[in-house]
Amino acid sequence: MQQREEKQLEAAVESLISRVAHVKNALHSFIYKLENEYERLTWPSVLDNFALLSGQLNTINKLLKNEKTPSFRNQVIIPLLLSPDRDEDLAKLTELRVPVFSHEIVPDYLRTKPDPEVEEQEKQLSVEAARIGPEVAQKQIQTLNKLCSNLLEKLNNPRDDRDAESSAIRQNKPSFNPADTNALVGAVAFGKGLSKCRPPGPVAPGHPGQGPMMSGGPTLQQVTIGGGSNQQAVMGGPGAPQQPGQPGKMPSSIKTNIKSASGSMHPYNR
Amino acid sequence: MEAPQVTVMPVTGGTINMMEYLLQGSVFDQALESLLHRLRGLCDNMEPETFTDHELVYLLKGQQGNPFILRARRSLSHPTSPWHLRYLGQPEVGDKSRHALVRNCVDVAASHSLPEFLNEMGFRMDHEFVANGHIFRKGAMKIVVSKLSRILVPGNTENTERLSLSFLVELSVLAPAGQDTMSEDMRSFAEQLKPLVHLEKIDPSKQSASFMGT
Repeated sequence: MQQREEKQLEAAVESLISRVAHVKNALHSFIYKLENEYERLTWPSVLDNFALLSGQLNTINKLLKNEKTPSFRNQVIIPLLLSPDRDEDLAKLTELRVPVFSHEIVPDYLRTKPDPEVEEQEKQLSVEAARIGPEVAQKQIQTLNKLCSNLLEKLNNPRDDRDAESSAIRQNKPSFNPADTNALVGAVAFGKGLSKCRPPGPVAPGHPGQGPMMSGGPTLQQVTIGGGSNQQAVMGGPGAPQQPGQPGKMPSSIKTNIKSASGSMHPYNR
Repeated sequence: MEAPQVTVMPVTGGTINMMEYLLQGSVFDQALESLLHRLRGLCDNMEPETFTDHELVYLLKGQQGNPFILRARRSLSHPTSPWHLRYLGQPEVGDKSRHALVRNCVDVAASHSLPEFLNEMGFRMDHEFVANGHIFRKGAMKIVVSKLSRILVPGNTENTERLSLSFLVELSVLAPAGQDTMSEDMRSFAEQLKPLVHLEKIDPSKQSASFMGT
């Protein structure tokens, strides 16, 4: 029977060593990546590394909880010989991390109790827990469970509820006014509300139809034919850019200008 | 000695006909910040550019028909840059299903003597305004968010008054004539700005018709 336990212990320790070696390798490559490739590193790949480590720690936990694993608490490690001399075999075994098996390394490497600070904190927490009494503790547990389940529900039932709420909120605060759009487009396109003959004064925005100005010269809105446009007809000729005959275009004034110029007053008669 | 016969017509025009595809909308002042954030995320990654421009619109009145319009623009934030002269044609009425307003567009740069030159040519300034705001780019698309101000004293660009409490948002693309693929891209971009801004094709001639009716 003792042999069986010994064999179990040995097997458990072997698999534990191999798992821990995996974690060590993963940590090693992760640290290397962080130190040397940090410019190219992206957050998803960092998350992948963390996920890998967490998975490996999970396997170790499962291994320890396994029923075939004997309880390690019953085993005690006692150092039989401590020497301040450098031990080459140990150094090679531990990849030069533990070159000397001496009094300094024993408290760190053979520790079974938690650190003093951690122990202090745990004691405080257990005192606190004992103080509030079981009913209050139970109520707190229930509140926490309810909050967590609410949150999970909200996160798991996304689209319909969220969209209904957010669209209702957004409809209350429109971010644009079509009348303003028309006013601005009118101002840019043909100077609605901007004509220089208009007396300066407050104009209510988005009110179309200020009424054509009767004073001053003609504006864009009134298509009038100014006097003395004959001499301007010549200017209209060279001033007119290309595109006659574009398909589907509304007729523009350029053709008429050209016609009038070549018809009447061409200065260079052939 | 005879000059050799000219067998090939000389090249008279050098430019490709460029068409401007345009979608317009507006946004309130309060919603401007969120719109700028969204545009900064959607558009090409560059330093946000602001501009202050002074635009003058010149008219040449013919004997009949609509007057000929030229738009002269100069930058108030870069006073030494050349002036920009632009001609915009009538919107093409071909395809009702086309999502953007399409019109012919000719752009040239000009020196600082442009206003006097236009006056000498016979153009008269019809109106002017100051536009300042932000400009974003995404590929070939240009998005301009600007607030328009009326100039109270002609020629004085310091003394201005805002035209409305909204910012004008324009999405435009300059493309050679005949290339109609841009309007789909523009429409999908406009979808991404909803419901903050509704960019749509607003025909200015329809606007003026309703205006003259009142």
